[in-house]
Amino acid sequence: MPSGDKKKHKKPSRKKSELDSALDQVGDESAAAAMKEFQDLLGEAKGDTSELVRQNAEELERYLVLLKNREIDKEDFDYFVESQKRDLRVFIDTQPAQAQERAEKLTLHVLEIAATKVVPILIAMI
Amino acid sequence: MNSTLVSRNVLLCAAAIFIASCGTATFTKSGSDATIESLRGFQLAFIDEFAVPGKKFNAAAFNAKVNEGNARFQQAIANDKFTARRPVFVDLKAVFDADAAHIKSKASRGKVTPALASEMKKNVNKTYDHALGR
Repeated sequence: MPSGDKKKHKKPSRKKSELDSALDQVGDESAAAAMKEFQDLLGEAKGDTSELVRQNAEELERYLVLLKNREIDKEDFDYFVESQKRDLRVFIDTQPAQAQERAEKLTLHVLEIAATKVVPILIAMI
Repeated sequence: MNSTLVSRNVLLCAAAIFIASCGTATFTKSGSDATIESLRGFQLAFIDEFAVPGKKFNAAAFNAKVNEGNARFQQAIANDKFTARRPVFVDLKAVFDADAAHIKSKASRGKVTPALASEMKKNVNKTYDHALGR
């Protein structure tokens, strides 16, 4: 029997990461919306079928946690993100045209949001 | 009879050339793999030597090692028989150049952390694994 009004594509619940817990503390409304967008995209990337997309998301999360814990600084973070971007551009260019937009959204776009929106907030929280 | 003999010899020659070329390709690729592994070892040792928290930066030793690295990469690019790998060696050299520049910038200001060195080595291993098609 059909489930009526229930949503058919409910997202699987996942355990909160150290990064999620930090980002959930953001109080400002517009910043919180950006954090939510980032967390959703990062979650989607971590569950992607492509190993490179998953690996990129996991590495990005690790860099953000290291930055938050002051184990690396912003220069190091930017350096690692630029390295990731170089690798990813090659990967995206090798994808079929119809898959490129999604691959770009889950890799380069996530890195861009992390660098421009998440990092300034994390640094302000330190 | 003579034409059959000639045809057979031509076929044997063609088969021999094909088998030899397969063997050469395999040999060439394994030689190229060994060069990549050697460059990986060099780059990891470079990070271990210069991305050390609290270690005083020795510019002369650093520049000498960078020059050695440049020579190794240039030699690999020029000498590799497996020509399809040439762009890969060029990419690996770009990674070495970028790592060296970042290490120099951080180490000369005493800003190397244990996490930086560890993450750089993870990245190097990942890049070289990709280069080897793993």
